[in-house]
Amino acid sequence: MANLTLSDISVRFGGLQALTDVNFSVAEGDVVGLIGPNGAGKTTVFNVITGVYKAASGAVRYGDQVISGMRPYQVLGMGIARTFQNIRLFQNMTALENCMVAQHCRSRCGVVRSILRSPFQRREEARIEEKSRKALAFMGLEEYESEVASNMPYGHQRRLEIARALASEPNTILLDEPAAGLNPAESHELMETIGRIAALGINVLMVEHDMKVVMGICTHLVVLDHGVMIAEGLPEEIRKNQTVIEAYLGH
Amino acid sequence: MKRILILMLVLAISLVSASAFAETLKLGSMSPLTGPYAADGNDIANGVRTAIEVVKSEGGIPGFDDITLSAQDTACDPRQAVAAANKLINEGVNAVIGTYCSSATLPSSEAFDEEDIIMLTPGATNENVTERGLQNMFRTCGRDDDQSKAALAFMTNYLKSKSIYLVDDKTAYSQGLADNVEKASGAAGIKVLGHDHVNQGDKDFSAVLTKVKAANPDVFYISLQNSATGALLLIQAKRMGIDAVYLSQDAVYHPQLITIAKKDADGMYLTFGYVDTSAPSYKKFIKAYEPKYGKPGAYSAYAYDSAMAYLAAVKKAGSVELSKVRTALLSMEFKGASKTFRYKENGDSGSNYIIRKIENGKFVDYWNVQTGEKF
Amino acid sequence: MDYFLQQLINGVTLGGVYALIALGYTMVYGIIQLINFAHGEFFAAGGYMGVIIISYLSAKGVSPVLCIALGLGLTMVYCAILAMAVEKVAYKPLRSSSRLSVLLSALGMSIFLQHGLMLTQGVYDKPYPTAMTAGGFELGGVVVSYMQIYIILITAFLLVALNLLVFKTRIGKAMRATAQDKVMSALLGINSNRIISLTFAIGAGLAAAAGIMVGFYYGSVNYTMGFVPGIKAFAAAVLGGIGNITGAMIGGLIIGMVEIFAAGYLSSEYKDVFAFIILIAVLYFRPTGIMGENVDDTRV
Repeated sequence: MANLTLSDISVRFGGLQALTDVNFSVAEGDVVGLIGPNGAGKTTVFNVITGVYKAASGAVRYGDQVISGMRPYQVLGMGIARTFQNIRLFQNMTALENCMVAQHCRSRCGVVRSILRSPFQRREEARIEEKSRKALAFMGLEEYESEVASNMPYGHQRRLEIARALASEPNTILLDEPAAGLNPAESHELMETIGRIAALGINVLMVEHDMKVVMGICTHLVVLDHGVMIAEGLPEEIRKNQTVIEAYLGH
Repeated sequence: MKRILILMLVLAISLVSASAFAETLKLGSMSPLTGPYAADGNDIANGVRTAIEVVKSEGGIPGFDDITLSAQDTACDPRQAVAAANKLINEGVNAVIGTYCSSATLPSSEAFDEEDIIMLTPGATNENVTERGLQNMFRTCGRDDDQSKAALAFMTNYLKSKSIYLVDDKTAYSQGLADNVEKASGAAGIKVLGHDHVNQGDKDFSAVLTKVKAANPDVFYISLQNSATGALLLIQAKRMGIDAVYLSQDAVYHPQLITIAKKDADGMYLTFGYVDTSAPSYKKFIKAYEPKYGKPGAYSAYAYDSAMAYLAAVKKAGSVELSKVRTALLSMEFKGASKTFRYKENGDSGSNYIIRKIENGKFVDYWNVQTGEKF
Repeated sequence: MDYFLQQLINGVTLGGVYALIALGYTMVYGIIQLINFAHGEFFAAGGYMGVIIISYLSAKGVSPVLCIALGLGLTMVYCAILAMAVEKVAYKPLRSSSRLSVLLSALGMSIFLQHGLMLTQGVYDKPYPTAMTAGGFELGGVVVSYMQIYIILITAFLLVALNLLVFKTRIGKAMRATAQDKVMSALLGINSNRIISLTFAIGAGLAAAAGIMVGFYYGSVNYTMGFVPGIKAFAAAVLGGIGNITGAMIGGLIIGMVEIFAAGYLSSEYKDVFAFIILIAVLYFRPTGIMGENVDDTRV
């Protein structure tokens, strides 16, 4: 278990300053909400953490290791999993297969052994399948394990994304707008799920627009506007923060 | 500007000096050096090379310091042949040996005609090659109409066949010849059970061979443009168990027919120009050819003879001018490697087709068309 | 009836060969959306390497069965390595360029490989030691050669093995994941470069096996042999739904059968015409091919 710490992270795309000196950390057991108006740079933060983008300056640390500069799968190997704003499941694969692919970086078989199907490989395969089933069950999807992803209803696809992230056995999970497109009942269910994930001892960092979800579940909030951190604190503090209100309402 | 002037001056001087001091006799060859007919095409280029080597070793040709060869690839394609012809014209060749495919010979010979460059074909057997009144066109090999007559004589007089099935691969040569054989067979009372066409580049003949087997003909006539394809067809036909007399023609004739088809080639008959392998002129050719290029193919000797005939004619005429060389060519009798011949007014050299047979992995002379007797 | 059965056997044999080659096209297209025009050359290279290895071994006195088994195995490995090298040299540097430049690179590679074969192996056909697999039997008027049986069995075995690999193993899942969403797969720890290499390797290995079997079946190999079957196999892949593995197998069989039956019941000269008429007709009514193209909106 470790703290995820971003120190002085800046990101530039050509002439555009996407993030400027972002500093915050996700401590053990935290559910941190990353909020801010559209284009504030929230997804960019996710992409920097997961190694998709490189920071121009600053460092991302996980526990005592610097993870900025690592390749995406290495970051995943460190125990940081993520979901996407627009669902990015493998649409032609079944729910179970989607979860099994997520453990690629954790399974210990080379190409040759995979082809030869050695006993070791078969045990490995069975172990992965078992874990994937558990992740599906955790998200209440056990009945859909052999359903092809593209045939599943939208809400289930959202859940499958989280199940896939969980299947890689992360210590930290990054959720990018998990409530987007969900109806109130589904949002409610989601909040409960996030609570159960946190209860497993997994750190959660989420980007979310739905304030009801954010205020209902987050223990800590970070507010971004135009790539700059304008506030940080408990939900109640943020709710009353004048700068935040202005940022949302416009100047 | 100054630099360009100097460059032009240098070029002019070099051109003048080249023509003034070193007269070179330039031969061109045109044949398919790549593609499915590359085997025959390289045989032709090698035949010409051998002729040049032989003539040079015998002291060359008076008035010329050197004899060179520019070997061009036609890929048996009419368009590429015309492009190759233009290249040779630009290089300023005096004569061209080629081409192999009739379809490539017809258009390229017209380009050479405009430039008064002599063309001697060692392999194009289509009748039209020498039926167009071109003054520059000569043919050292035989003609398809004569070849089909030889095939027919063999079937009627020797085999006494009652039925025939023909397969060709749709080139000007292979289909033209098969059509001739079909027509003549019908006229001679041999029942034509079928005439099928396969495509260039085909490897699988199982479907058409199943048809042939069902038709059960006395003679299975195979007219393909290429010996390797012939071998493939032969292997599959034997495997299918087609029980007929296999008769083919000179494009299928090549040593590789036997190396590929092996035992399956045994018993096949082919129409082919008679070569007297005991003649001194043939032995001389073999002695020069084999050490360098291996066993000669079907057209090596014709290419060699074409080049030898041209070089002898230039020597006699003392000039490379078309009219003079033509007169010399028509006036001489050549003792060639392939045959002893004299070019006729239309450029043909006469056909001398016989029937050869493959026995125990060797081509042997089998039946003489002129006398109607076995060798 | 005998006639029909005979043509059926002929068709299945030819179709099996097309299917093996078509798989390489379809797998590579599925993973990087490239029509690998050099693929037919792996088939030709396999045909040559096979006869070189098998002749060498049989000259050393190795038994025919072992010769063929070793020849098949080593040649498949050789072509797999060749294909990975081609991918590294000709396609990988262009992965972010337009599709057209990669396509041109593929055409160039095809010419390069074909002429490489010509320069190193010569323009003459190379005969196969057909005696090793000669023979056959007659079943009620239908002639079946052992080689046809071998081709059908080996093809079926390779197709089943490939299916197991792609749909049952972890590597197969990684391949399918990479085909659908390269970025996402990379995030999940799949090394896409390795998967792409592997895809090329498997496709070329199958084509190499086809090359050897064709060598034994038809008796010889030639440096131009990759071109026509390459085009037919490509048509088969498109017919089945390019990117779709099952589709390529079905497409290969259909093209083989249509060719044989068109030649057997109509005329040989129109067999290619019929093969392509079927292709056009299927694409007209089902633009994504019989099994459907592996189209995925989420692909980046």
